Amino acid sequence: MTRKKRRLVLISSALLTLSLAVGLVLFALRDNIVFFYGPSELAQKAPQPGTRLRIGGLVKEGSLKRLDGQSVRFAVTDMKSEVEVAYTGLLPDLFKEGQGVVAEGALGEDHVFRADSVLAKHDERYMPRDVADALKKQGVWQEGAQQLASPGK
Amino acid sequence: MLWVIFAILTGFAVLSILWPLAKTPRGVSRGASDIAFYKSQLAGIERDAVQGLMTPEDAQGASAEAARRLMALAEPPLERSVAGAGRAVRFASIAVLIFVPALALGLYSVIGDPARPDLPLAARNEASPARMDLMAAVAKIEAHIAQNPDDGRAYEVLAPVYLRMGRGNDAAQAYAAALRLLGQTPERLALYGEALIYAANGAVTEEARKIFEAAAKDPSLAKPRFFLGLAAAQDGDLLRARDIWERLLAEAPDNPPWAQALRERMAAMPGAPAAAQNESAARDAPAVEGGSGAKANLAAKIQAMPEAERSSAIRGMVDALAARLAQNGQDVDGWLRLVRAYAVLREPDKARAALVDAKRNLANDATAIGRIEALGRELGLEG
Amino acid sequence: MIVETGHYALVLALALALVNSVLPIWGSVTGDRRLMAVAPSVALMGFGLVAYAFFALTYAHVASDFSLANVVENSHSAKPLIYKISGVWGNHEGSMLLWVLVLALFAAAVALFSSSMPDDLRANVLAVQSWIASAFLLFILLTSNPFARLANAPAEGNDLNPLLQDPGLAIHPPLLYLGYVGLSITYSFAAAALISGRIDAVFARFVRPWTLLAWICLTLGIAMGSYWAYYTLGWGGFWFWDPVENASLMPWLAATALLHCTAVMEKREALKIWTIFLAILAFSLSLIGTFLVRSGVLTSVHAFASDPQRGIFILLILVVFIGGSLALFAWRAGGLKQGGLFAPVSREGALVLNNLLLTTCCATVFIGTLYPLALEALTGEKISVGPPFFNLTFAPLFAPLFVLMPIGQNLAWKRGDFFGAAQRLIVAIGAGLIAMLALAAWRGGPVVSVVLSGLAIYVIVGSFADLGRRLFVGGGATAIMGAGQRALRLPRQAFGTAFAHAGLGVTLLGLAATGWGAEKITALRPGDEVEIGPYQLTFESVQPRAGPNFAERIGRTAIRSSGVLIATIEPSTRFYPARKMNRSEAGIATIGLGQVYMSIADVAANGSVNARVFWKPLVSLIWIGALIMAFGGCLSLSDRGFRIGVARRAAKAAASSPQPAE
Repeated sequence: MTRKKRRLVLISSALLTLSLAVGLVLFALRDNIVFFYGPSELAQKAPQPGTRLRIGGLVKEGSLKRLDGQSVRFAVTDMKSEVEVAYTGLLPDLFKEGQGVVAEGALGEDHVFRADSVLAKHDERYMPRDVADALKKQGVWQEGAQQLASPGK
Repeated sequence: MLWVIFAILTGFAVLSILWPLAKTPRGVSRGASDIAFYKSQLAGIERDAVQGLMTPEDAQGASAEAARRLMALAEPPLERSVAGAGRAVRFASIAVLIFVPALALGLYSVIGDPARPDLPLAARNEASPARMDLMAAVAKIEAHIAQNPDDGRAYEVLAPVYLRMGRGNDAAQAYAAALRLLGQTPERLALYGEALIYAANGAVTEEARKIFEAAAKDPSLAKPRFFLGLAAAQDGDLLRARDIWERLLAEAPDNPPWAQALRERMAAMPGAPAAAQNESAARDAPAVEGGSGAKANLAAKIQAMPEAERSSAIRGMVDALAARLAQNGQDVDGWLRLVRAYAVLREPDKARAALVDAKRNLANDATAIGRIEALGRELGLEG
Repeated sequence: MIVETGHYALVLALALALVNSVLPIWGSVTGDRRLMAVAPSVALMGFGLVAYAFFALTYAHVASDFSLANVVENSHSAKPLIYKISGVWGNHEGSMLLWVLVLALFAAAVALFSSSMPDDLRANVLAVQSWIASAFLLFILLTSNPFARLANAPAEGNDLNPLLQDPGLAIHPPLLYLGYVGLSITYSFAAAALISGRIDAVFARFVRPWTLLAWICLTLGIAMGSYWAYYTLGWGGFWFWDPVENASLMPWLAATALLHCTAVMEKREALKIWTIFLAILAFSLSLIGTFLVRSGVLTSVHAFASDPQRGIFILLILVVFIGGSLALFAWRAGGLKQGGLFAPVSREGALVLNNLLLTTCCATVFIGTLYPLALEALTGEKISVGPPFFNLTFAPLFAPLFVLMPIGQNLAWKRGDFFGAAQRLIVAIGAGLIAMLALAAWRGGPVVSVVLSGLAIYVIVGSFADLGRRLFVGGGATAIMGAGQRALRLPRQAFGTAFAHAGLGVTLLGLAATGWGAEKITALRPGDEVEIGPYQLTFESVQPRAGPNFAERIGRTAIRSSGVLIATIEPSTRFYPARKMNRSEAGIATIGLGQVYMSIADVAANGSVNARVFWKPLVSLIWIGALIMAFGGCLSLSDRGFRIGVARRAAKAAASSPQPAE
């Protein structure tokens, strides 16, 4: 094999790996990213039922209902609109009414959001800015850490 | 002592630079190191070949390659190194002697706090046994609560102690817990509301007002009604405040100890008939206790002035306070007073500016910043 | 006094770092050996000063000195001693101080163990290290000073975030930082080589042990962090593809690639440009990780405080160091001489492929981590890129590595024989296939788990194929008799390689076995039983219990296998009054290599407790594999060829006979 040929083999294998990687990334980015909406945005954008989403806001005071077994229902609000969430499983330690929450799942036909994971987080990245600001204004802002909860895969 | 240690540290630091500069260098040159490397590589290949860890052909190829590289090094490159101390070394020594102490002391004098000694908790407790007793008591109750988080009585005992220690937020939280665990009574609500006001630096917050409204359902309690009056006064609704307080005084059974203080406060309100001893309206002092003698006298004089003069006198005082804080910005209470004064004078822009100045001046003091931010929130100046 | 002297020591360390940034480079440019000799002495002194500052901060935390803002915000007098100490780095300011301490430690280690290194290389390396130290010391002193004092010391502190009050925190960050920041040395080596323009096998020889050391620490640090998340977050996951985890995985991938690349460079002087590039890349990714975690761009347990000013400062450091080194790289790379030649099918070729795959994997992680940030900055659209993305991109690119790893080890340098190598792996391939068939017949279960388990067995056996061939030469009894002798003579590096590769196979086996696990979410009352995997759990009681600074409710649960009591676990929920925070603590029983894992939530109104129960077969292999990898690394590090002191004797010998032997 000449030096040129060797180099050709090297470069083409590099290109092959890279194009494979690019292809995978593009494919994965098309199907596997999840958009994040607040309740107002959700109402406004009206995504297809069944699309995977993350929604975030505050757990509405007085909205938490424990159904039979492990099922719970609560409403997520941003003080303007709200969305009903159904979830089965353990709620994270930091989950509380009036606190920030993020739920991942999909919106059903009946406009109830079926979550398969719930994260409670006192943290402005996981809630719409105006909710965070509203919280700050009321002086109930708490520095804290995250707590994850999600069913096993 | 501190400065002696600083000097010793600086001395060591400078020495660590000057010492190698003064010594005759003893190191490894490029050439020697390269040769050593290839030789050890060759030796390694030979060893592997002898031990049968490498096929003879592989060993031959590898050692040929290493040998080729070794020869490519050819002559060790001529060392350009200077053995004696040249001009560069002398210059570097002098520069270091000046630069290191100057930078270290200069920067430290800006960010350091040499006058402050260590303040370990143990020493603080030894220094003031009373404080330690209090701290020990608090720690004991806190430990008890950690074990029995549902003991509302413990919270109720702890809360006033927190209040005395100046921990308004903690006191409010403890009362909140007591309320949750022991149930709501007007007395408890009133205490909770008072703690909330303390936590908010004296401002009657919306939350506190609601609590007092609930507590005021028991008309025999004076405290909620007093604070509701204060809330009205802080909102600028002086007529309502006067109304609430007058009724409170009228309904109070046989002249309670607080009646005199309340009368004085009412007399201090604008539009009230001038009284001898009263407080300045501009200061809008939230705490229940009155101002000190001299200030009260001054306030009385102001109170006695005609309306226009009075407002200009108040303004003059506020301006004087602002000027003083511009000179020396370390007075937290001064800032709090100034911000509140602007808010009372309905000058939100100035109040906001004062908030910003306060935070800049007190940037190193986290608790002070916290108090100032809390006040800003209460007055709706931030967000 | 201790506090303020510590503060002053830190300022003094900055002054020394600045001096050390200039004098050695000046010396190496003008050839003045006295100026160059400044570097090691100042590096040692600098380490001493930073270590003293760190000690002072630790003292303040232990003594509960609430005149320091840092102590007030992160400590509490009732906190157990171990968390008072680990709380020193459980916050932004303290962790940055630890960062600089490790940086200074590595500089001091180079100063101590490099007497065989050429003067100018050592001077330049330590100077570059000082540039980094200067930048970060400035960052600490100007934007995140742990020694900031309070005018009025409060009576009590705010306590440390309960999630961080765990023995894991005592070990995880220091280990991770040793790895993260240890890569600064490879960066400094690369920059120094670029400055002097001498990039050859000698350079590779000196940079290799440091890369290996950093890699070992990084491996252990990541494994530790993953295990910590596994048992504290309460839902049995061990890797979340969380941006902060990715920030540590990326440097690991780059460091792994670099490790393999330096091997080629030392042996064959090939892949020079690539080695230098990887050395820069690895530390750049560490810096990016630091930026992501410390700037508040991302928020997680690791983001202690977000402050835009700090973010901009770190971004500036990032731009200067990454941009500067890449510019230097572009300037010098063109002038490099071609190194040794090799055929595509050869040990070198396999290592190139390894590097290619590792860096591509790294790139996909990079995209997955930064794409949401970029998208939010550009369009305001918030998205999350979760495990599905990484499973789809990372896994297919990483899987070929497992297939190729044993093959590459069995290829000869320069020109290899693919089929010959495959033939030597007959045993490994056979073992893998048999394992696959046996598992499919015996356990069934997900196809992925079966295939990956077979692959893992192939990797584990295949990793030792080369070693076995070298030990058992010939056949019959003589081969076995000779093996012991040979094993003693064989370089320890050969064992190291085999163990490190096998460790990766072990981890893969642990990952593959997750497919056979079981999970149940259920409400339990005392006396209830639940069946999980092969075990029966009896939920015995719920009791309150007091910890030093928390109150907890524990759910005693007995684990039985066909009626025989095996273990008792006590999952709990804790309440930390100082921060008014809840946290759950999982109950874990290790049975064989698998684990029963249980976490409980609050007691419901009817007296039942919501619980999550897992059976995770072979799960401990995930971390045992990492330990084996690190063990392999340590074996290699102790090898003669790697040991840092050896070349010194050789150099002395060479110096006494200056004429080359040939």
